[in-house]
Amino acid sequence: MDYVQQRVAQAASNLDTFTNSFFTPLNAFFLSVLLYTAYAFLLRPSPPATLPREPPAIVFRTFTPRTLLPYNGTNDMPVYLAVRGRVFDVTRGRNFYGPGGPYANFAGRDASRGLACGSFDEDMLTKDLDGPLDTLSDLGPEELEALRGWEERFEEKYLVVGRLVSVGEEGEED
Amino acid sequence: MAFLATLLLRLDESVTGLFGQWNPWTSVIVTVLVGFLTYQIAARQEPDIHPLLLARQSQRSEVRLPGESPVYRSQSAPHGMPLNAGLNVKDPGAAKWSRGRDGDLRDIWRQVIAGVQEDGPTKGATGRILTVLGTDKVVEHHLRDLTRHINFIGQHLASQGATRVAIYLPNSVELMVTLFACAFYNLTAVVLPFDQPDDAVISMLRRSDADIVVTAPGSFPFNLVVQNYPSLRQLIWVVDEGSKHMDWNEIPQGAGGSVNVTTWQDVLYEGSANSGNELPPLQGQREPSDVIVFWQSKPGQEEEMVQFTSSNLIAGVAGQIFAIPTSHRMGPSDLFLPADSLANTHTLVLTLAALYSNASVAFNSAAPQAEDLTVAVRGVFPTILVATPAALLKTHKEAQAQLKSSLVARTLHSLQLQKLTQNGVMPLIKTRLPAGSKLRLILTAERPRADTPRLSCRVLTDLRAFTGARIMYALTAPKVAGTVTQTGFYDYRVFDGEKDGGYHFGPPLTNAEIVLRDTGLFRTGSHGSRGEIFVRGPCVAGGEASVAAAGMFRDDNTLAYTRAYEFSFHQAPPDERFKQIEDDKDANSD
Repeated sequence: MDYVQQRVAQAASNLDTFTNSFFTPLNAFFLSVLLYTAYAFLLRPSPPATLPREPPAIVFRTFTPRTLLPYNGTNDMPVYLAVRGRVFDVTRGRNFYGPGGPYANFAGRDASRGLACGSFDEDMLTKDLDGPLDTLSDLGPEELEALRGWEERFEEKYLVVGRLVSVGEEGEED
Repeated sequence: MAFLATLLLRLDESVTGLFGQWNPWTSVIVTVLVGFLTYQIAARQEPDIHPLLLARQSQRSEVRLPGESPVYRSQSAPHGMPLNAGLNVKDPGAAKWSRGRDGDLRDIWRQVIAGVQEDGPTKGATGRILTVLGTDKVVEHHLRDLTRHINFIGQHLASQGATRVAIYLPNSVELMVTLFACAFYNLTAVVLPFDQPDDAVISMLRRSDADIVVTAPGSFPFNLVVQNYPSLRQLIWVVDEGSKHMDWNEIPQGAGGSVNVTTWQDVLYEGSANSGNELPPLQGQREPSDVIVFWQSKPGQEEEMVQFTSSNLIAGVAGQIFAIPTSHRMGPSDLFLPADSLANTHTLVLTLAALYSNASVAFNSAAPQAEDLTVAVRGVFPTILVATPAALLKTHKEAQAQLKSSLVARTLHSLQLQKLTQNGVMPLIKTRLPAGSKLRLILTAERPRADTPRLSCRVLTDLRAFTGARIMYALTAPKVAGTVTQTGFYDYRVFDGEKDGGYHFGPPLTNAEIVLRDTGLFRTGSHGSRGEIFVRGPCVAGGEASVAAAGMFRDDNTLAYTRAYEFSFHQAPPDERFKQIEDDKDANSD
């Protein structure tokens, strides 16, 4: 209680020193808050919003069976596979087509025959990388139908990043 | 314990001391602070469009061909989907959910007379067609009369065995009527730029192989044409009301007698009062005919003749309609004024878009030459205006000069600019330019190789604040109906260093896609997309065309190009075509 009385007396004696001056520390404080707020709302320039730059686009390429081979997902390479002359980037499906996946045999190869026959075995792939492409001429209508189904699915999900030609045909237009 | 008490005492004393300084001045400052904060929070407006939508304005294809950039498309026309090619015209009686036809020019006039078809408060409303004469006289044309005119003129032209009809008229109702008459009666319309030197007119007639000319007396070199262009079969004078009593059919002595001369009024009188109210039927109509236009570059250079199919023009019209957000589309409450020559495809396509949207359209033959907006909008209060960059630049200069004299106006202007560029909000402007204006949208276009003055984004945003209207700035090209690219409706951003990096021309519309092919120093690579600008799509005559200028896509996927990298018109081998014009003359850098 003593304390309160003492403070009241103190404050009462201070009334004499009450000032009407504009330049008090308190005024300076509020004035600076006001000025900063005005600056922040009215004058501070903000540059237009930007999004991070897009990564460069993939360049459409012409592959031969041999140049396609490295794109099998090992050594941090993307995963590509070819279906009837078109090369799809299936990196997003790495779990299936990448190393260790059930379709890993197709990575970096011409997968047309394998997809058509529904077989993921090694012997579905064209062995001779320098030879002509698989023409699929011996396949039946059912198998071709299955292949078309796969192609449609790939077109929906993946990007066509190039075309596959046999060695020696790289310069030719299709 | 004693220590804590002292501490508390100190704290108490200092707080009391500080607030003991409270005096009337403090109250004033705090009141102002609180008031300012309250106002800022209460008056805060959401930006017109989310800023991130402006940060990426077009879609890039993921894969690109070697030697060119990825393909850029409008956000509303995704890759893998067909581009927007038509107006989705539904024939009377067709099911509501059925897919409409792309349509052609005839459907535009049918829409004009049918009125708004969508359900809503404006259903059935039609626009008005006006002609501004002199400074303040405005004449309204009844749509029924215009339909009869289209029929009479069309029947007359067809009865003459014409196949190609040249139109050499200033911006006028007659120009549009002849254009529609050609569309309904299967004739190829040739729209010539007005007010050209005599030899240019003859050369354009010759190249377009026109057999009838519709023109106005006084501007058409009749004798010279008759002497130099014998294939001309007929000439139709569009004469003023005041001089129609004169005998216009008389052919000057010695001038070729093979040319049949008549007047517009005579053709209309030939038709009986009760006929011509019905347009040719929709069923069994023939394939739409083409429209030929001439692209003017610099004076003295030969005009480039471009033949647009009807579907090119319609795709251009559709693109323009969709370029405006749904809530701001043109409608019956709008008055549209083309204050640029209708012989410019950009203006023509926009006018057709306004007609199809059932907006009112005013024609003023003097408007394209107007020095500034005040002169251009004389006599009417348009809400949508197609203006020349030169007129806009002049208006900007005048307004800037006025600002210099008044501090209040300057402060107000900078606050409006702040609102536009920082908040992305179109401010409400009380004193608009031109005086009394109701403008809400201004459309203007850059014509490569034609010496049109450039409008920097700073000038454009200044003009938005001066006029209170949104502005869309387009890049056009000879073979493109409408625009190559166009700045967005809600894009008020301002960039520095535009002069070096090229002017900002926005993203492509829904009717075209853009690819940049490597040329000279302009190559696409990890630094970004650069090269010669190519446009593809249904609005391009021939399907694909070059703008004949080098450009780049900026990080917000909008096209930028600078005139310093235009190619010369007469095309040299690819590497020499790339030449740098010494200086990019700019009146508007600031």
